[in-house]
Amino acid sequence: MGCVRLVNPVTLPTIISWLTYSSLLSMMALGVTLLYRTTKVANFAHASLVTSGAYVAYSVVVVLHPNPYVGVPLAFALVGGLGLLLFYGVLEPMRRRHSSTVMLMIATLAFDIVLFGVLNILADYLASAYFVPSRNILLSASDFTFLGQPGIFFVAVGVLSLCSVVLYFLLNFTTLGIALRASMENSSLAQAIGVNVTLMLAISWFAAGGLAGVSGALLPMWTLVNPNTGTVLLASMFCASIVGGLDEIYGAVLGGFLLGFVDVVGTSVLASNVGAWIAFYEPAVPLVVLCATLILAPRGLAGFLARRRK
Amino acid sequence: MALGQVILFIVDLLALFSIYLIINLGLNLQQGITGIPNFGLVLAVAGGAYITASLSTRLAIYLLNVHTNLDPIINNVSVLQLVNPILRSSPWLSTGLLALFLIIGGASGALMGLISSAPAVRLREDYLAITLLAFGEILNVVGTGYDPLIGGPPGTSLPDIFGWAGQYRFYWATLIMFLVAVIIFVYIERLVRTPFGRVLRAIRDNENTARSLGKDITRYRMSSILIGSILCGIAGALWALYSGAVTPSYDRFDYTFLPWLMILLGGIGSNIGTVVGTLVFVTLDELIDYFKYAFAPFLPFNVVWLNYLLLGLLTIFILIYRPEGIVREKWTSVPAAPPPAGEAKPG
Amino acid sequence: MATMLSVKEVAASFGKLRALDGVTLSVGEGSVTLLIGPNGSGKTTLVNVITGFQRPDGGHVFYGEREITGWSPQRVYRVGITRTFQVPSLFGKLTTIQNLLVADKTNPGESFLKSHIRRLWINHERETVEKASRILQTLGLAEQSDKPVSVLSGGQMKLTELGRALMSDAKLYLLDEPISGVNPTLALEIFARIVSLRKQFGVTFLIIEHRLDIALKYVDYVNVMASGKLIAAGTPTQVVSDSKVIEAYLAR
Repeated sequence: MGCVRLVNPVTLPTIISWLTYSSLLSMMALGVTLLYRTTKVANFAHASLVTSGAYVAYSVVVVLHPNPYVGVPLAFALVGGLGLLLFYGVLEPMRRRHSSTVMLMIATLAFDIVLFGVLNILADYLASAYFVPSRNILLSASDFTFLGQPGIFFVAVGVLSLCSVVLYFLLNFTTLGIALRASMENSSLAQAIGVNVTLMLAISWFAAGGLAGVSGALLPMWTLVNPNTGTVLLASMFCASIVGGLDEIYGAVLGGFLLGFVDVVGTSVLASNVGAWIAFYEPAVPLVVLCATLILAPRGLAGFLARRRK
Repeated sequence: MALGQVILFIVDLLALFSIYLIINLGLNLQQGITGIPNFGLVLAVAGGAYITASLSTRLAIYLLNVHTNLDPIINNVSVLQLVNPILRSSPWLSTGLLALFLIIGGASGALMGLISSAPAVRLREDYLAITLLAFGEILNVVGTGYDPLIGGPPGTSLPDIFGWAGQYRFYWATLIMFLVAVIIFVYIERLVRTPFGRVLRAIRDNENTARSLGKDITRYRMSSILIGSILCGIAGALWALYSGAVTPSYDRFDYTFLPWLMILLGGIGSNIGTVVGTLVFVTLDELIDYFKYAFAPFLPFNVVWLNYLLLGLLTIFILIYRPEGIVREKWTSVPAAPPPAGEAKPG
Repeated sequence: MATMLSVKEVAASFGKLRALDGVTLSVGEGSVTLLIGPNGSGKTTLVNVITGFQRPDGGHVFYGEREITGWSPQRVYRVGITRTFQVPSLFGKLTTIQNLLVADKTNPGESFLKSHIRRLWINHERETVEKASRILQTLGLAEQSDKPVSVLSGGQMKLTELGRALMSDAKLYLLDEPISGVNPTLALEIFARIVSLRKQFGVTFLIIEHRLDIALKYVDYVNVMASGKLIAAGTPTQVVSDSKVIEAYLAR
């Protein structure tokens, strides 16, 4: 994660960095939380799904030479499709055989490994067929600027807001959304009243894959991307989900912004005061936040707020 | 293939098999027998490797009475030039140090186990798996960032404790690793057949009932994790000593994913299954490694990625079609009841 | 007859649903007492409260002279009260006899350190095996002794659960439908055994059961619950002709 800017604490660039990172992280965490709530499974494949989004967008740039944002919808569709593939091809057959949660998690890990291999092959292909670098890719140079800030900031925040609004509207005001929520609360009851739970799950896997794809597609605008970028970010994604609270979907956004704050702003403050060497330990930040959460507020931020409200 | 090549292949295989068997027995104890999904094995393995590596040169200097002002990690190569000749001249000294280093490896593993157990006693299943996974990532961060540990990204070397065997170095090293693995296997098999082992399995099968029968669940889970982690620490130390060096690159694929695949393949729960799974996997893996360049012309992609594709798909296949693996768990024997009073004892 | 167990004005609820509404009853030492009532009358909830699986909202539970209200299940178990569950909660991959062996409270081999020295625990283990084998024999499970319980039939699982309870050398047994799913001949045998245990060791039984045709033959005393309250108590003959009881059963 090479984008901690070591400046004096809490300046505008740091805030922009925080908000951008958090928006992207929240999108990833939304997918993780959504899948956890519907399928009761921690999706380890989310790592490579995000990376896939990045490479889809990059491939579009390399092959068609357009604006780097054009690949985003394609990333949504393709990676959503990967999510569906994981669900129908791997998880659903296992669920039919009553596999345990741990086995399902391992299946997602195995899928992640396969996808990682495929991404590397893709990267090799792009490099050899198009004579472009395909590792350590960074597209921020092609980004537009607005009000003196990088375009990715506006796009990331904008897309997250759009996704949140759409999700909120979907879950609360449409029949599909209500059926989805029913499946999340109590799948056997939902099934009994006629909800096609398998279809609901499929939809959530497509949506989560799509979210991963979009966040991945935007990633090269902001930081270096490699085939293992998703893997490096996985701990942060899970941390954001858990810290935000797995009981509510919006917990992912809370968690994403909290973790992003500690990660970007916190590390920046520490680095300015303690020394630049602390940047090496930045990957430990999600872990520390995770531990603190599990001890102080095990149900995450959302659970904590919900209890306060009662 | 010449006989020499075959022997080399088998020795290589045995070395890898021994290391992984130790790790996998540790994982099987935690997941297969006690029901604790440890997705952070790499923490204990890397912990064993890094800490042993870090302390090894220092201890060697101290114990062998080598006088030098050089830093054992930063000036590692120069320091070892002073240490290794002493080791190479004395098999007993070398073996003594080996035993010491293995103890350090085990202790490091225990330390990592203690750290892992903190979430493990409070969390279940998915939360636990994620947390342990996150923990596992941490050691490479420290290893890369904190130079005094193992010298940062380039890593460090360890004293050559198999050097006294000259050209038979790898044979001796493999033999010793294999012996350690066998000892550990026998130990674990006996452990599972004790009443203690029975309680572990009961906790796995139905934790609430075990609790209502008065069993201290926390203590048993902790014991399981500690033992498993000690085993992983020993394996990490052994591998570091065998390889002669460590770099902060002990990754999740090698030490978290692959052990799971191996015990799944062999049959989760059964120790024999673990042996079978490890053997089958390591053999397959070595064969792929040896022959993959023969496949290279037929594959449209770099053969390096073949492992990831094949192993990932194999895991998925097993999980869907044969999740119980090859060998089923079977600890059905109990000690015989004492003969009724008044009857002559047989034998 | 001394009182083994008594509950006074115990109340418990699940959210808004009041499962127990001030129940007071007592169980005499050395008796075989039945607890009956229509479905939903709160029988299992009462047992849950007594054995610590649920906290009561009010009231007290006494074990002899000691108050045990709100004690944890482990504590209740260790003090000499054992219960079984309606749905057997066995250890699926362990064999039938191993399921019984786990119930032993004092096996030194269960300690990690001691387990390494076989001599320290092998004799105790052998004796426990003998005890378990005898219990399995009485329950007709001797042939299933070394099979994993997951292959047993539903009725056999219930018997294993009962066997495990009997391993505990408890003074008071709370059995929740111990013979449901068991064939009538064996069921009669089991009840006969329960009664003989009472005679041999002076243990007390409180049994929830629906199969009154079998149960009423063997019990000393019957408590009847309905809608979370105790509505009748007495000897089998008294209770069977009690109009309130007949009404409660018919009204369902």
